Amino acid sequence: MNQESRDAMIECDGLTKRFGSFTAVDHVSFSVARGSIFGFLGPNGSGKSTVIRMLCGILEPTDGRARIGGRDVLREGEAIKEMIGYMSQKFSLYDELTVNENLLFSGKLYSLRDRDLKKRRDELIALTHLEPYLNRRAAHLSGGWRQRLAMACALMHQPTVLFLDEPTAGIDPVARRELWDLLFEFAGRGMTLFVTTHYMDEAERCSHVGYIHMSKLIVSGQPDDLKQLPEVTPTGTRRLDVTCDHVTQALQAMRSVEGVRSATVFGQSMHLLVDDAITRADIEKKLLGVGIQRAEIHVIGPSLEDVFVALTAKYANENQGEKAA
Amino acid sequence: MRRPFRGLGAILFKEFIVVLRDPMTLFFMLFPPLIEMIAFGYALDNDVKHMAMVVFNEDRTVESRQLLDRFVNTETFRIVREVGSATALASEIRAGHAYVGLQIPPHFTRDLRAGRPAQAQLLIDGSNSTVALQALNTAVAIALTQSTENLLKESGRHAVPVEIRPQMLYNPTMRSPNFFVPGVIGIVLQIGTTFATAMAVVREKERGTLEQLLVSPLSRWGLMLGKLIPYLCIGMLMAFLLFGIMHFVFFVPIAGSIVAMVLATLVYVFALLSLGLLVATKAENQMQALQMSMAFILPSVFFSGFIFPRETMPAIFYGLGAVLPTTYFIWLMRAIILRGATFFEYLPSLGILSLMAILLFCVCALRFRKKIG
Repeated sequence: MNQESRDAMIECDGLTKRFGSFTAVDHVSFSVARGSIFGFLGPNGSGKSTVIRMLCGILEPTDGRARIGGRDVLREGEAIKEMIGYMSQKFSLYDELTVNENLLFSGKLYSLRDRDLKKRRDELIALTHLEPYLNRRAAHLSGGWRQRLAMACALMHQPTVLFLDEPTAGIDPVARRELWDLLFEFAGRGMTLFVTTHYMDEAERCSHVGYIHMSKLIVSGQPDDLKQLPEVTPTGTRRLDVTCDHVTQALQAMRSVEGVRSATVFGQSMHLLVDDAITRADIEKKLLGVGIQRAEIHVIGPSLEDVFVALTAKYANENQGEKAA
Repeated sequence: MRRPFRGLGAILFKEFIVVLRDPMTLFFMLFPPLIEMIAFGYALDNDVKHMAMVVFNEDRTVESRQLLDRFVNTETFRIVREVGSATALASEIRAGHAYVGLQIPPHFTRDLRAGRPAQAQLLIDGSNSTVALQALNTAVAIALTQSTENLLKESGRHAVPVEIRPQMLYNPTMRSPNFFVPGVIGIVLQIGTTFATAMAVVREKERGTLEQLLVSPLSRWGLMLGKLIPYLCIGMLMAFLLFGIMHFVFFVPIAGSIVAMVLATLVYVFALLSLGLLVATKAENQMQALQMSMAFILPSVFFSGFIFPRETMPAIFYGLGAVLPTTYFIWLMRAIILRGATFFEYLPSLGILSLMAILLFCVCALRFRKKIG
């Protein structure tokens, strides 16, 4: 057993879930180190929630195995439940209960004693700033506060692993930022976090990411390592950021240039993947041709989005090749 | 599993708050059964009194008048109209203005005085068999009584040769409410309670809160019992109100032990709530829960002996009745409330009902998987 697997808090090995003839999760394997934040990305319906549910022991895998803290999800499910916290997509709270009662209920579920219950509640209230809403019913909380309450509820029993299924869906940017600050704080205290998200900026903040597409895990690793992958920036190409006026026209112009493999708009600039043969002068000349006088051009590294786009395209190509063969 | 009821305290804490915080739900759980009880109690009365009767009297003598008086004096009939033809008599019944038509022919008194059989024709609307049967029985009894009186007079004897002296036990005045109201309690309780637990669990499925419970170390026995107990309290409150109405509105006397009555009710409500939980283990949404609950409730209205005696049913329906908790509850209520049955007399039925309650609860807890999908 090497160093990495001894420190692994979550391990999946060939995890598979089939619903009838539909394979929702197809031989997914990865491991998440203790104290890290694992960002799990993928489009809707790609199998993210199914993986979480299997890891939480509420959905039985069809094949493969998963371990949390070294315990098998299937055989030691009840023991695992004591150490995990789960915050579902819907922020499942009891609308009829007040903030305070929701917290107490969550603690009681895990058999917290009265004194610990109150102490833990007060800690979490301080952490999430929920005190002005203590006696408000959960039904009357806004999205951001519901999310905080749901997270506080999931943390009442001090789990060592916390699963968050799209915790920032439909939340305003401030609440989103504050949630991530909290997540970093937890990770700093040694908690392992497993977060699904759609946001690329959130993925960039994770210590590890995994990308699932069409039920298969396409890639997992540290964001910086993934950006170094040869498939993302093929040999003989580089990525450029071009900032200029009339970006839309510039984009059209650049797409017609041979040697420009892809061109995407990012706000006031565009990102190009070009063959090394294409020089700055070539680009400036082409832009001048459509009446754009000035352009700032820099060489840039790939973003995580570039990584996922490149790998998805590669995966789709390979799959097509398989089908053709 | 070291603690089989783990999490029970948490679920009770939550359920009681949820139930008590929503007075409208509580009101709509308690109020309709009380209305149903009163409505059923009054509607289900097959003591037919003052049945509408039309008369076509072609005789018009003192004797024929006396015959009509006998009909009216039974309180079963009331004369609404006298008509002038046999056609009119028939059409009054067809139009629904009367249930019965009595035609006394012109030679009625003549035949009577001459010692010949004096005949009168009675038309009965058979479309309502209960009413028709009672009309027939009463009319036949009237003829027999008068015949007997006449024969006694002629023979000079003072008493009839054979006499049956009936004594009604347990419901001496043969009041319908005494028979029906305990049964109505069984039916009304079933409607209120089975839905309650079915909905309480299915609602959590719909809202996604059940998933949250499943990731916790909560045990399924703890969850099921936690869902059941609050509604057991409400169900018993409902039962006490229904017994109150039974006793103080319908004046049904309670012959047996009130403790036994309450105990039987507790077991019955527990069985019904477990049935609701069983529905919830299968139903995915509230609509399905509603339909499945109805599938259990309807047979118990027909096959529990609530209205129709089970003994006259075909074997298959008799058997169906034997697996319904309502059958045993209604039997127990009639035994305890009306007949004042003692412990060992009602024990077999109470035993079966208790067994059903325990079995239903165990099945629903075991069927409930701590998994989704």
